[in-house]
Amino acid sequence: MPATDRGRRLRNALLTGKRRPRLFGSGSPSGLRGDGYEFAELRAYVAGDDPRRIDWAATARSGALQTRVVLEDVALTMAAIVDTSASMRVGRSTSLLDCALDVLRAWFEAVESEDRAMQITARGAVPDIRLRGRAAATAAFAFHASASEQFDLWNHLRIARAILPAGSALLLITDGYDFTEEETVPDGDAMLADLGRRYDMTCLVARDPWYEGLPLRGFVRFKDAQSGRLLDAYIGARQRRAYVEAVARREARLIERLEQARWRAAPLLEGAGPASLYAAFGVGHLVQS
Amino acid sequence: MSFEYPWRLPVALLAILAVGWYLRYAARRRDAAALLYSNVAFVREAFSTSAWIVRMLVAAWIVSVALLALAVAGPRITLPVPVQQGSAVICVDTSGSMASTDIAPTRSAAATAAARAFIRRSPPGIRIGIVAFSSQAEVVQPLTSHHRRAIQALAQLPPPNGATAIGDALALAARMLPARGHRVIVLLTDGVNNTGVNPMAVAQRLGELHVPVYTIGIGTNSGAFIPGTGEPAQLDQGALRAYAQVSGGTYARASDAGELRGILSHLGGVTGFEQRRVDASLAFALLAGLGMLASFLVGSFFGGYR
Repeated sequence: MPATDRGRRLRNALLTGKRRPRLFGSGSPSGLRGDGYEFAELRAYVAGDDPRRIDWAATARSGALQTRVVLEDVALTMAAIVDTSASMRVGRSTSLLDCALDVLRAWFEAVESEDRAMQITARGAVPDIRLRGRAAATAAFAFHASASEQFDLWNHLRIARAILPAGSALLLITDGYDFTEEETVPDGDAMLADLGRRYDMTCLVARDPWYEGLPLRGFVRFKDAQSGRLLDAYIGARQRRAYVEAVARREARLIERLEQARWRAAPLLEGAGPASLYAAFGVGHLVQS
Repeated sequence: MSFEYPWRLPVALLAILAVGWYLRYAARRRDAAALLYSNVAFVREAFSTSAWIVRMLVAAWIVSVALLALAVAGPRITLPVPVQQGSAVICVDTSGSMASTDIAPTRSAAATAAARAFIRRSPPGIRIGIVAFSSQAEVVQPLTSHHRRAIQALAQLPPPNGATAIGDALALAARMLPARGHRVIVLLTDGVNNTGVNPMAVAQRLGELHVPVYTIGIGTNSGAFIPGTGEPAQLDQGALRAYAQVSGGTYARASDAGELRGILSHLGGVTGFEQRRVDASLAFALLAGLGMLASFLVGSFFGGYR
């Protein structure tokens, strides 16, 4: 999984993005026990450096001001949550889940030597949060949740909040149906806002495969990918219109809700997963089919 | 309601159950071809199909299936149906008083026109006879189911002349009628009986035989004279009402030709109805088909789901 040019640009966007926490002086911004600032290198002082970062011993030895660079300045913690529920196993030519995995690959392609990479699972981070670099990215991408494992979006978000240090970049890929379970997560909006404050949150909302219109007419039987429940319906011109409007409305509302919580949110288009990701970060253009 | 073939009812229900089971089986096989969708609850919400429409469709379908099962069992229901073998004798007064012009153009012409309307309105199959009476009664047209022939016979009515023998006319009409079946007599006269047998006695006897006499009073008591005689033309409504009452018929007065035609036309329409047990299989099957078609069309427009 070599780093690509767009991967590097994505990483740079994350490093220099406004959501990146600014580290000043000493102290630890991490919620993870023992995970304080980690020394990375010394470099010549440049105007604007925090005076508290000046290494006076090194300055005395070299005769010129030396600034201590900590790992958090140059390394990222890149995590991802992939919605593996059955509702993501639908699609026209490729399933939404396959498309999500393409995005996941592009996400971890941005990982470099000192970065952390992990996938948030129901049992915690995979691989261990201490692992860094390409090996971590490869292990994180290789993880696949077992089919029997029930995906619970809100539970995954709670786990991420408990594990990830502040300033981490967290990518969520989902179709968004779990976001509407208000009755089970009454404080959902507060949680989304909290995540938006602590992390660089990005959500790619898998676009409905039939966003442009249902492919069938007349009497059609739908099968719920999640529950297997059947729905017999007649699709006429009125139903087709209503469906297209409802799908667009649902996607727009979801994106608006996430943006209000300071998330970066964008649609994930079938067959254009990586392009959707890069477009969300402004490092590429997305041509909508 | 009764059934011609009651044993077919459980058989039909079993057949319907079997068909229902097969359709369900076929539907399960179709499930594999169903469109896999992330969240069908969202589709349902997007289509915004009202629950009452779905309930109505299901109810219509169940009622239709029940009607179909009943149709197979040969339902018989009692209904008023047009009688195809009834008989009616029209007694037309041709006495001298019918030449009066208090009804335009004359009482006689008005009576003839009204009789013609009655014949035209009578259901096919009703047999019609015509009796003309003045000093005595005579058969102008024996009972016939050829209504056109009866209308042609009206042209053979003699011109107004002589006395009025209502009793004789009723007796002759009674003799013309068959012994059984739906039978009526229509009496078109000004009602002043002045010769022959007592009409009240004959009407009473007809009532016992269940032959109603519908009496139509033609004329007015306006003081008009019978042409060429100087005698006043009268209308004995009391007598006519009594003849109708004792026989089980009704009395109506027609003061002009148009009104008279209306009364007799209505009488012609109601004469031929009788309570009969009829086969309702076709009606039930048609209702079932209509119900199924309606539920299909409603489902097509609004979209149904289960």
